[in-house]
This record gives sequence, structure tokens and C-alpha cells, in this order.
Amino acid sequence: MHAFAYVRPATVAEAVAILLAHGPDARVLAGGTDLVIRLRDGSAKPSVVVDLKRIAELRPGIREEDGHLVISATTVMTDVAADPLIRRYASALAEAASVVGSVQIRNRATLAGNICNASPAADTAPSLLVYGAVVVAQGPDGTRRIPIDEFFVRSGVTTLARGELVTAIELPVPTGRRGAMHQRRTRRRGHDLASVTVSCCVDEAGMTRLAYGSVGPRPVVYADATGVLADPSADREARLAILEAMFAGASPSPRSMRASPEYRLAMLRVLGARALQGAIDRLHADGD
Amino acid sequence: MATDMTNLGHIDLTVNGRHRALDVAVHHSLLDVLRDDLRLTGTKECCLVGECGACTVIMDGRTVDSCLVLAVEADGAQITTVEGLATDSGLSTLQQAFLDKGAAQCGFCIPGQLLSAEAFLRETPHPTREAAEEAIAGNLCRCAGYEQILDAIMATAEAGQQ
Amino acid sequence: MSAPIIGSSPNRVGGIARVTGQHEYVADILVADALEAKFVTIDCAHARIISVDASAALALPGVLAVMTAADMPQPVPRFGPQLEDRPVIAVGETKYHGDPVAIVVAETRDLAMQAAALVHVEYEELPAVFTLAGALDPSAPLVQDPSLRPKDRFASTNVLREHPIGWGDVDAATADVVVEHTYTFPMVTHFAIEPHAYMAAPDGDGIAVWSTIQHPNWLQKVIAQVLHMPLAKVRVFAPDPGGGFGGKQHAKYEPLVALAAMHIGRPVRLVLTLEETFQAVRRASAEVRVRTGVNRDGSLVFEDIVADYLIGAYADIADRVVGKGSYPAAGPYNVPNVRIMARSVLSHTMPSTAFRGFGNPQVNWAVESNLDEAARAIGMDRLQIRLHNLARKGDAFIPFDTPADGHWEQTVLRAAELIGWDSPLPEGRGRGIALGVKSGPTTGLSYSTVRLLGDGSVVVFAGTSDMGQGARTVFAQIAAQELGAPLGWVAVVMGDTAVVPYDQQTSASRSTVLMGNSVLQACRSIQKQLSAMAARLHGLDEAQVTMDRGVIHLPDRDLTVLDVLVPGLGRLGGELTGNGEVRKDADPTHPLSGAPAFFEFNCTAIEVDVDRETGDITIARHVTVSDVGKSLNPLQVRMQDEGAAIQGLGHTLMEHYIWDEKGRLRNPGAIDYRIPTSMDLPLELIGATIENEDGPGPYGSKGMSEGALLCISSAVGAAVRDAIGVPMRDLPLTPERVWRALQEPSS
Repeated sequence: MHAFAYVRPATVAEAVAILLAHGPDARVLAGGTDLVIRLRDGSAKPSVVVDLKRIAELRPGIREEDGHLVISATTVMTDVAADPLIRRYASALAEAASVVGSVQIRNRATLAGNICNASPAADTAPSLLVYGAVVVAQGPDGTRRIPIDEFFVRSGVTTLARGELVTAIELPVPTGRRGAMHQRRTRRRGHDLASVTVSCCVDEAGMTRLAYGSVGPRPVVYADATGVLADPSADREARLAILEAMFAGASPSPRSMRASPEYRLAMLRVLGARALQGAIDRLHADGD
Repeated sequence: MATDMTNLGHIDLTVNGRHRALDVAVHHSLLDVLRDDLRLTGTKECCLVGECGACTVIMDGRTVDSCLVLAVEADGAQITTVEGLATDSGLSTLQQAFLDKGAAQCGFCIPGQLLSAEAFLRETPHPTREAAEEAIAGNLCRCAGYEQILDAIMATAEAGQQ
Repeated sequence: MSAPIIGSSPNRVGGIARVTGQHEYVADILVADALEAKFVTIDCAHARIISVDASAALALPGVLAVMTAADMPQPVPRFGPQLEDRPVIAVGETKYHGDPVAIVVAETRDLAMQAAALVHVEYEELPAVFTLAGALDPSAPLVQDPSLRPKDRFASTNVLREHPIGWGDVDAATADVVVEHTYTFPMVTHFAIEPHAYMAAPDGDGIAVWSTIQHPNWLQKVIAQVLHMPLAKVRVFAPDPGGGFGGKQHAKYEPLVALAAMHIGRPVRLVLTLEETFQAVRRASAEVRVRTGVNRDGSLVFEDIVADYLIGAYADIADRVVGKGSYPAAGPYNVPNVRIMARSVLSHTMPSTAFRGFGNPQVNWAVESNLDEAARAIGMDRLQIRLHNLARKGDAFIPFDTPADGHWEQTVLRAAELIGWDSPLPEGRGRGIALGVKSGPTTGLSYSTVRLLGDGSVVVFAGTSDMGQGARTVFAQIAAQELGAPLGWVAVVMGDTAVVPYDQQTSASRSTVLMGNSVLQACRSIQKQLSAMAARLHGLDEAQVTMDRGVIHLPDRDLTVLDVLVPGLGRLGGELTGNGEVRKDADPTHPLSGAPAFFEFNCTAIEVDVDRETGDITIARHVTVSDVGKSLNPLQVRMQDEGAAIQGLGHTLMEHYIWDEKGRLRNPGAIDYRIPTSMDLPLELIGATIENEDGPGPYGSKGMSEGALLCISSAVGAAVRDAIGVPMRDLPLTPERVWRALQEPSS
């Protein structure tokens, strides 16, 4: 690992000041499961690494507040996956968090870090997209609430501005019943990077949201408000047409070692259909 | 350590119950410090990308890949390595089960397997075999078919129930 | 006399050190004043080195040397177990991605890495070949300088050698049905969890070398030759490796590290990263064309096999892998006409080397899969066609070789029974069964020394490497049984050429048989001495005294070892020493330079579930049955068989090297090269052994530990084909490959 300076701010304001001063030469360290690999292989060469874990305001935790679930920036995947509120209100996120890496990785990797890396394959992104999550960022000009769909740009790039720091991720607590499911495709059953990720959420009003990742430069979300997708008894062709329109946004890279574009596109359809069906089944079973 | 920027950090941590205070380079991992500075070489180095689990240690009650933790991040932490598993009266139940069930072949992955198993059993004293499979999925073994490692974990759980 | 310790499964000798973290692997050993080394490599495979500028690296305080070929003895020493074709460092050009151009030696690992990044290598990329088709193209650039083999008819090609073997007359034979297909096997790597590590230190007027090597005595010879030292001045320490699987058999970078240590005059350590290990060792990929002739009654008429193996830029042991691995390619069957043509083909890739199965799994995948196709073509059950043609014990299935040395049909029938071959198949599932046979060691030389100390405890000196297979435990069990010592009173010393007598190598599943017999011989020599001692003490003729299993039998009573040893040694104490020597000399008339000491025989039967939408394969049931003669330690036998089976599932289902168009390995390391985890196991894994005590090893044992890997791909492939109705001919059987097969119009 090349040498760098390490700083451990005590407050968000301090962290923001450091990030503002150093811009791209600073890297934020939360769980480190991605950053430390990149520091070691030289693909990240920051002059300063800013560790968030001693900032009291960012202490790990998930709480319900004003109709939202608020997940602080240092909350790790293990806790997201096990949290009763997440499991009750956002089961697809719990599922996604529970398949990120191994136990050891989930004990360190944070939800905020997962989305800040903006990897197209980020496991948690599709579920956050279907749940309409909001990224809370604090910067030199105060706090910004960024809808997650407006957060991702492309691999490694987000809409965070210089000096901005993600402090929390918020999920709206649903007012009615809904069902959701997360699906992914990997090369083995043990932990692996996904070649397709799909989350689907269906609510009792008939709204279907479907999001997918790893098949394009960034994860994307689509909604069907017609009620057709949510209704298994609706015309099959009509449902397929809606799904096809949703899948049209996929453009997998031909350079990937993990799977060919043809396979990814085919699996997007398979997993999309499975996630949809699973979401519907769960809606009718016991809700999300 | 204060909030000043630094290339060297002073850390205080507890490793296997023993307090340790030392200065470390901030770009050195917890794995580097355990092996090179503290000479606790039971923790192994293999993939350095958090995939193989050979460097697994327990940090504040949870397993981590010590190759992905900067040593400075471990300031104030409680660390258990394989050297800390045995008790005054000898091998722990889990270690003895690893021996009895033949879990160790070449042995290189075993420290990591033991720590994953240890943390898992503390959290899940009555596990299913499937849960045990998931618990050690982050610890690659190339000698065995994992069966004896799983046998040892299940036997330890059963012994704990008596 | 206590219960027999042979046939029991005591705790592993060395096990406590392994569960406490005390066992010191090479990278754990602290040598005072040791320097750290790091390679300088370039980002391409085949290149002419124009210049190396180390000035910036050398300017760093604490960097002691940046050594290139120019800093080596001239001509640059070359070595290799088959051909001495591999220079200790790249000379003039690199021949594969990862071939070291220079080695940096510095005070710390950080510094060595920092300095390596500062070395500037100017190079010109040269045309290169990375595939069989590319290497065999008449216009292909030559990997090896033709002047290295002046009289060789292949010198102007990339074929290193051909290995033709056969009997009968394939061209004249006529069969009712002929099935011909081509199969491919991927390039895979050992992925021992311990990356390779080396250290060398000047040692008086000699040198000490530490290595993760499987063959310390072989390494000793290489180092002695490179440094022009007598063997006695080269001390090789080979601590029990953290997994070997063949990848650690032969010298790789030890000569370079030794030269660096001698040059600087201080200890030098080089621990490879996992990525560098990927660039150091791998299995040969292969393309195998098989024509199988079969009559309608199921009788095999001929096998016509052409197997091309893609080896690397240097021979290492790869050509032997090709020759020996392909030799029993027609399988354990009585086939009247066989023609096998195997070729080792050089390429600009890292040298391939020995890997569990030694060239055999590649041809097994093709020939066993094609046998399934033949069975289908004549409408015969796939188990029946195998039983119909299977060699029975004593059959000369390879006419000029050791006859079948086991009741192999027992193995096959047991596997069929355990998989429930004749039971109804659940919907969506498929079954496959395959047989594997591998020639054991063809030569061997294993010396051992056993010392019975004055208190009845025992020290065994054996040059085998215990890399996880449990050789220490088996040798201790033999000594304990023969000399009546509790197992905990036996120490086994290995891995130090200054102390332990010569052993040729740890490979080919030989150690239980060859070194085991050597240790047994040493123990029997001590038994004779004890018997003589007892006779002397009790005024008997030596002929009246016998000894077995630690008990000395006098005509009127039995004595323990201590009853005899203590008075026999007398007031000064002392010890008894026995030596063993097991020699299997080469036979120049044999195609492999020697008939195998035994065959490893395995039958694997698989039941799979295939997700037709995704192509996912679930191994619902995995049965592996091996003929091991006698399990000296049943638990260790099970562990080796299961380990081999799961390792084989790796190359069957998920493992393969991926290259870019410039011959750069795209997936070195653990992120994009996947090996099975604990979540990738068969839902049910059933191992069994056939034990007729008919092997050449101690107590009727045979070598084992590779068998369960030989035919695993063939059995899984057959099961998948059974489930989906489409043959699979390329490994690994990734979900995407299965899915593609299902997209074919014929399916």
C-alpha cells in the first residue's frame, strides 16, 4: 500500500471541511472493504484518507423518524440485514444486504459505502431504488436530500459535490401493504459479485417498481402504475410488454469477465420475472 | 489519536486480552501489524482482497478480514486471533473439535476458519448445518470438502448444549 | 498389545500446532536481518527487453539491489526437472505475463514494493501465442529458441514433444458405431491457500534455503547446481506447506532468491502474492479429440485419441504431465485397439506444472464423456457399458503394463448402488457415472531412518512433505504399531535436508506406499535388533524370538519393547536405529520408464438438478468410491477423497483462467477466479472405499488422494447431459454454458 495521511474527524463539519479542502485527493473511509483493496492495488491514490467511524453524529444505527427509516452512514450490512425495521418495511433491502460478500465483509461494509462507490453491481442499489430511498448529504452549504435515482451517475461517480458527505440514507415507511423481493445472479453460491441484480416491489394499490443493476453503467428503476404488472391474472402479453419496456434500459458491457451481454440480458428477464412473482406472492402472503 | 493528519499513528488495542500500545504506519493493515509488529503469525496472509478469509480475526465481537482493516482503525479495539483461543486448561472445545473431526489438513486456512466458527457459535449457539455453511463461506479451504470443518462446528454446538 | 493403531483415525500429528496458529509456514519464519524482495514485471506477455533503468529505485534509502539477468552469473543459469530450459530470471525477453525482468531487494516490504514500481523497463512487445490454435499455426512465432534443441524434428515448431502410445490396429478395426467428438479442458490453478514463499540465507560457506516446496531434495540439487556448491553445503528447509496439489513440486524462484542472497550477503525473503502465484503455477489446458468404436453388444472396439495440451513457455514438469497423464487415456477397459497421440504444445503463458491428477483429468473428461455418447448411440445403459468392458483384476488392460491391480467392478457397483442408479429419476434431474484410472509412481527412491530412543519413544525421519495429506500421521501410525509406542510418543521429522535422509519426491500419491514401506522396513530392522537383544538377554537362539506389533514373543511368554530395550541397552542407555530404503528403478524399456507401483482407481456418480432458465447446476448427490487397498487412517482417506472431489468440482463448474488478446491474465487472484466455498457443496456427499488389502503399500494399502478428482468432470457432465438432453463438451460447466446449450435449436 502506498503511503497516505490518515485523519479521523470528530464531527461531520470537520469531515466536510477536510473533504472540501482536498477534493479528489481525499477518500472517505467507512468500512474499507472496497477502499482498502483499491489503496493496495493502487487504483486509488488519495493523499488523505478520512475515517468516519469516530464521528458521533454518524454512529451506526437505524431508527424510525417522521415516517422514515434513517440508516446512518456507518451502519454495516450485517446490521441492515438483521434490523427488525428493515426486515419489516424493506425486506428486499435486508435480502440484498445479506448477500453482500461474506460474513466478514458484511461486518465491515456499510450501506452508504456501497452506494457511494456507485458500482453498477452494488447489491443494495436496486432495492433502495424501488423503495424510493433518499440520500442525505451534508456539505459546505448545508444538508441536501438526494433521491437515490438522482444519486448514481456511472461506475464510481455520483452526484455528490466537492465537500459533500453522505450522512444517512432514508427510506419512507410504507403506509400500506407491499411485497418485495431481491434476486441476483452469481458464478457460485458462495459470495460473489453479481452479474445481474434485480429488486421488485409491488404495493396494494397496484404500483410496481422494478430496479436492476450490473447490466449498464448504473442501476436503474422503472415503475408501472397501471396495475397490470401487479396483477398476475392480467393479460400475459400485456405484462410482458411492460416488462420488456423496463428491460430496454439494460446495456451490459461486452468486456465483463463475469458473463456475456446475451446471458445477462436473458437473466435479467428470468430474475425480473421471478422478483415480480415473488413480490406479488409476498404481498398476498403477509406483506413486506 | 487526535484529528490531526498523520502518516504514523499511535494505537492502543487489546489483543487476546493483552494490552498493546504501538506506533504504526497508517497504510499498514491490521494484518500487517499482527504479523510483523506483534509477531502473531497465526493470522495468515493469502488473497489480500477480503475473499479468502485466511486473515480473519475477531474485532469487537465480530469477524473481520484483517487485510481490509487499517491498523489505525483498530485503535481501541478488542482483537482475538487464533493465538487467543486456547484457554489455560488447554485447547478450547472448538479447537479440540477441529482436531477430533479432522478439520485441519494443511492447516493454512484453519486460524480463519476457527475464528469465523468461534464468532458464529457465540452468536448462534444452536445452529443448523446450513447456517454453519454460510458462516464459513468467507473462509476458503482448498484441502478439504469443508465437511470436517462443518462437523467440528456442529459437534462444538452440540457439546455446548449438554 | 493395545488396539491396532493402523486402521484407526487418531488426531493428526501436527494438528495441535495447526489449530493454535503455532505451525510455522515459510512466510511465518523470522530470520534476523532478512531483506524483502519484489519482482519487476511488465504488462505484456512476450517482449524484448530493451533496457532496465533502476536508478530511481536504487536512489531510495534502504534499497540494496535491483538485479536483472545482467547481474547473474553468465551464462544465466537455467534449470528444470525435464529440460534445463528455464533461466533464473528473464534473459533478453519475457516469455509470459508475469515473467520477472528484475528483482528488487530492500530492507522492508514497503520499500521493495515502492522501488519495484520505480524501475523503468523499456520493452518492445513481440508476437506471441496463447492458444493451441495460435501455437500450432505454421506461421506462429516460436516460443523456444530452436538452437536449444538442434537435433529435434520439432525444433521449428511449438510442439515440445509427442507421446504416441497404443496397441492393436485402430485403422484396421471396424466397429458397428463410431462416435467422434472434441472436448476442451480449461487452464486452472492450484490455489493453495498458502501462496508460494521462498527465503535464502548465506550459511557459513554454504547456503540455507527455505521454500514451500514439495520436493526439498530435488530443490537441493537445483540450488547446488546453480551455485556450484556441493549438496552438503545446501541446506533446504521445507516446513509443511499450506497445500501443494502438485504446484509446489518443483523449483520456481528459489534459485533467483538464492543468487540474490549470495550476491548481497544477507538473507532474502520473497513471499509471492496470490496474483503472482497464479502467474507461477497452473494446470495445462487441453483439447482432446476422441473417436470411439463400439459394437452393438457394447464391446469397445477401438479408442482413437488425439490430445493436445497447452503448456507454458518452459517445460517445467509439464511434458511429463502430458506423457504420463495421457498414457492410460483409454481408461480401465479392455479395448483391443488403442491409439493415443498426445502433444505438449509450448505457448507464451506461465509454465504449467503438476496438478493433482497429473494430466489425467483432461483426457478422462473427453474419453469418459465420449463413452457416454457411444452408449447412447447403441442404446445401452451407461453403467452397463462400463461394466461390460471393465478390466477385471489381472487383466492386462494396457497390454505391456502392470495388469489391473484391483477388483474394480466392486468399486463401480458400490458407486452405482450408492447413487441409486436403477432407482427412478426425479423430474428435472440427471445422473452420470464415470470411472478414473491413473498410473501411480513409475520410479521412486525413499530412504528413512527410525530411532527407538531409550525410553521407548520413537523418532521417524522421512523426507516426505506433509502438505495436508497427513503423511506425518500415517508414518507415526506405522512406527507406533510396529514398535509398540503410543502415537503421542512418536515424533516425525521432515523438511530439513541436513537432517532427514533423501526422498525423491512427494507426488503421484506415492508417500504412503513408498515412504510408508521404507518406514516399515526401518521399524522391522529395529524389531530384528530387539529380537536379537531379547535372545541375548534370555539365552535363546534368535530364531526362537519373533516380534510383531510392538510385542516380543519368546517361546514361553510375551515381552514389551521396554522389557527388552531397557536391560538390553544397559547402564549407558542409548538407542536403536533402523534404516529403510525403497527403490523403484527406472525401466528404460517401459513407455513411461517404469510400470506404475499401483493404479489409483475411482468411480464417481453424480445426480444433478438443472435450472433450465438460468443454467444453474445443483449437485444433489455426489458419490465417490475409491479402491484404496486398505485405509491406514480412514478419516484421512475420507478427507483426501472429499477434498479431491470438491477441488474437481471447481474446474468442473467454475474455475478457468481468462486471457486478454495480449496474453495477459485477466483474472489472477481471488476476486474473479472462483473456487468452491462451503456454500457450493453437493447437497449430499457420500464417500466410500473398497478395501481388499491388495495394494503394494504397508498392510495392503494403495496410494490415494488424486482418484476422486480424475473423473468428476465426466460424471457431472454426464449427469447434466442426462438432465438437459444436450451434451456439454467444454469445461467449466458454467451456468451460462449450460444456458447456451439449452438455447440450441436441437434442445
